[in-house]
Amino acid sequence: MVIRMNEFMLLKVLDKLQPLFTKMDIDYPVMRQILQLKLTMDTRRVPTIFNDSNNKSGNQFLKSLAVYALMGLMLLLFIFGDNYLMQMSIYYAVVMFILMTSVISDFSSVLLDVRDKMILHTKPVNERTINCAKVLHITFYLVQLTIAFTAISLVVGLVQHGIVFFLLSLLILVFVNLLILIMVAFSYIFILRYFDGEKLKDIINYMQILLSVSMIVGYQLVIRSYNHVEFSTTFSFEWWQLFLPPFWYGAIYQLVLADGPFSSQIILLASLGVIVPIIALLIYIQLIPTFERNLEKLMSNNGQNKRASYWWSRLWEKVVIWNHEEKVVYRFAVSMLKNERDFKLKVYPLVAMSFVFPFIFLLNSVSFQTEGELGASNNYFWFYFSLLSIPTSVLMLKFSENHRAVWIFRASPMTNKKIVERSVLKAYFVRLFLPVYLLVGGAFCYIFSMRIALFLVAVLLATLFWIKISSIVYFQGAFPFSEEYKGSQSLESVKAIILMIGMGLFALIHYLIIFSDMYHTIFIVLLILANIILWRK
Amino acid sequence: MTKEIVLSLKNVQKTFGGTPVLKSINLDVYGGQIIGYIGPNGAGKSTTVKLMLGLISSFEGEIEIFGENIKESGPAFKKRIGYVPENGEIYDNLTPMEYLSFVGGLYGMEQVTIEKKAKELMRLFELDGVLHTRISAFSKGMKQKLLLIASMIHNPDLLFLDEPLSGLDANSVMIVKEVMDQLASQGKTIFYSSHIMDVVEKISNRIVLLANGKIVADGTFEQLQQQNKEGTLEEIFNQLTGFDKHKEIACSIVSVVENGDTNE
Repeated sequence: MVIRMNEFMLLKVLDKLQPLFTKMDIDYPVMRQILQLKLTMDTRRVPTIFNDSNNKSGNQFLKSLAVYALMGLMLLLFIFGDNYLMQMSIYYAVVMFILMTSVISDFSSVLLDVRDKMILHTKPVNERTINCAKVLHITFYLVQLTIAFTAISLVVGLVQHGIVFFLLSLLILVFVNLLILIMVAFSYIFILRYFDGEKLKDIINYMQILLSVSMIVGYQLVIRSYNHVEFSTTFSFEWWQLFLPPFWYGAIYQLVLADGPFSSQIILLASLGVIVPIIALLIYIQLIPTFERNLEKLMSNNGQNKRASYWWSRLWEKVVIWNHEEKVVYRFAVSMLKNERDFKLKVYPLVAMSFVFPFIFLLNSVSFQTEGELGASNNYFWFYFSLLSIPTSVLMLKFSENHRAVWIFRASPMTNKKIVERSVLKAYFVRLFLPVYLLVGGAFCYIFSMRIALFLVAVLLATLFWIKISSIVYFQGAFPFSEEYKGSQSLESVKAIILMIGMGLFALIHYLIIFSDMYHTIFIVLLILANIILWRK
Repeated sequence: MTKEIVLSLKNVQKTFGGTPVLKSINLDVYGGQIIGYIGPNGAGKSTTVKLMLGLISSFEGEIEIFGENIKESGPAFKKRIGYVPENGEIYDNLTPMEYLSFVGGLYGMEQVTIEKKAKELMRLFELDGVLHTRISAFSKGMKQKLLLIASMIHNPDLLFLDEPLSGLDANSVMIVKEVMDQLASQGKTIFYSSHIMDVVEKISNRIVLLANGKIVADGTFEQLQQQNKEGTLEEIFNQLTGFDKHKEIACSIVSVVENGDTNE
């Protein structure tokens, strides 16, 4: 019987090049097998960009390419016009940012796969073959990603600026890819040199979060700033531009496509774009053995780690915690929220959105109003957009990478298991919602003056109210951190939408009674009562 | 020493989806005993332990722990119990200190006491360098040591240990065995399940063998030897569970390994 695995186009192309590999002292059939295995595994991995997608069937990677192609549309902003230096610099800044974050978040596992050491290096396969498979694998991924992301803008560029522009772009993208790969590898070498594997995993985790956030927020900003983009500014050379690769490539366009004469600075910038990747590549080849050695750090831990400080949550502990059992679970939950990478990856982007959305909508309104009008308006109601992250965040509290460890709750002599849920919700509130509330609230106080104090009190109460309601909807007696992460099921999405509609109606009612201080006070008193009833249980 | 009944199972039965896992278990356990609880895979050992811990709450029959029926007594009896789970499930994204503070806290201990004991125990188990390192970075043996510490930190009177020695090096095994011995001589009870017969044979002062959801043997190792005319616990185990084909199966395996697909 033969094991059926996907046949990949890439492998068929490589088959044609077989003699070349054999000449390079590479065991081609073995390398082909390794590569096939890796590519098959890729199709089963869910890329970060699909953070909250639900079905895991089909080729995840191909689907993510479609998303990248869609995101690539934003590059069109920088294609029109002929101030090449400025607009192409921004173009490459965006390209490099997206490619780099996505390489780090989704392909670190390839660069840093320690299982390779256990599984491949124990077999009679030579080192060259394994390394070659690794390099081809990453290159293949990066090329696909680059094509997906830039194809549309390049075609538009072809029509707009002609064939020279197009071919030049292709050439430059090769250099850009090389540069990205080496930059990522260098940063890993650096991090592993000075820190241990756990630190690196943390850094990768934060990169993934950054990617998710920039995906959402960046989109909002790009769409909204569309009208304001102008490239009329003339270029003036500054020394720091020498350190920013996007300028190197902007300069190359300027050099090739614009009319002279050119300043020596532009020639310097352009030549850096070619020379640096080549030098970096040479250094990198020298450093590969060091890299492999440092990789071993990922498997062992050698760190005498410092104790994490929890000053923020300890500060609020005195306010929100009522008894000893609650304190124990609260502290546990705070550590879980701090340490669980999957949770952070899913919830931190939401927290960032809660922080940014009120301001985005506020900015939108600003364009129609003067400063005085804004200060006197009801625009502070955009604050309610912060609350939209609550249902999904609370839902995520149900899951954990270590969901089986929940036996400890059942085996413990706690008298009231309801305390667990309540304390975890409090930890979530203190650690993840309160900072957003204080920052947005503070900013709004500054913009709208203290007249919104009563409103802010009401929002805080509403937050507590909706956190509890969400937990009633989602937990239904289950322990927090007791289930395995799986793509959100449709039922749970429906629940989230219903909760959000509920919040919308709630905000609307609040909006309708805001004119009267008396109604507003009654509203607040009712909220206090509702919270007491809900949270006391 | 007065023989106090610590644990008592009366006619305990449990079915999972129609299949009976435990068929009428009767067992009385006294203070100071180390019970080796053995049986083939799937015999219901872990299920029994989970029932006694209250991890599974629905079952037939009565379980009394420290003289109280656990169906009625509420969770307070768990204060005096420690547990090392079979597969070492633990929140491994926490640090040992965070995890031990949490577990100790659940057992109602004071934070200062927990930290003091945790530091000391971690040092004695040679884990003092990793007090604030994520558990996920631990080796199997380190994790097992931590689980043992977590099960004992609140000075329990009854310990349920499911393969507690897995992954430990020979020196640590000696330490843990000695600890169990001393705890038992202080009157504490240890309920020990394992597949490693040599250890069970040496460590336990009472052996309970479970097969097909029933207790098929119960007594000291010497008593079992007399009843079954066999030398080692391993052989007694094979005899009582009706397994005598190990030679034939091994032969077949070796033949497949050597001849592979020729299949002769």
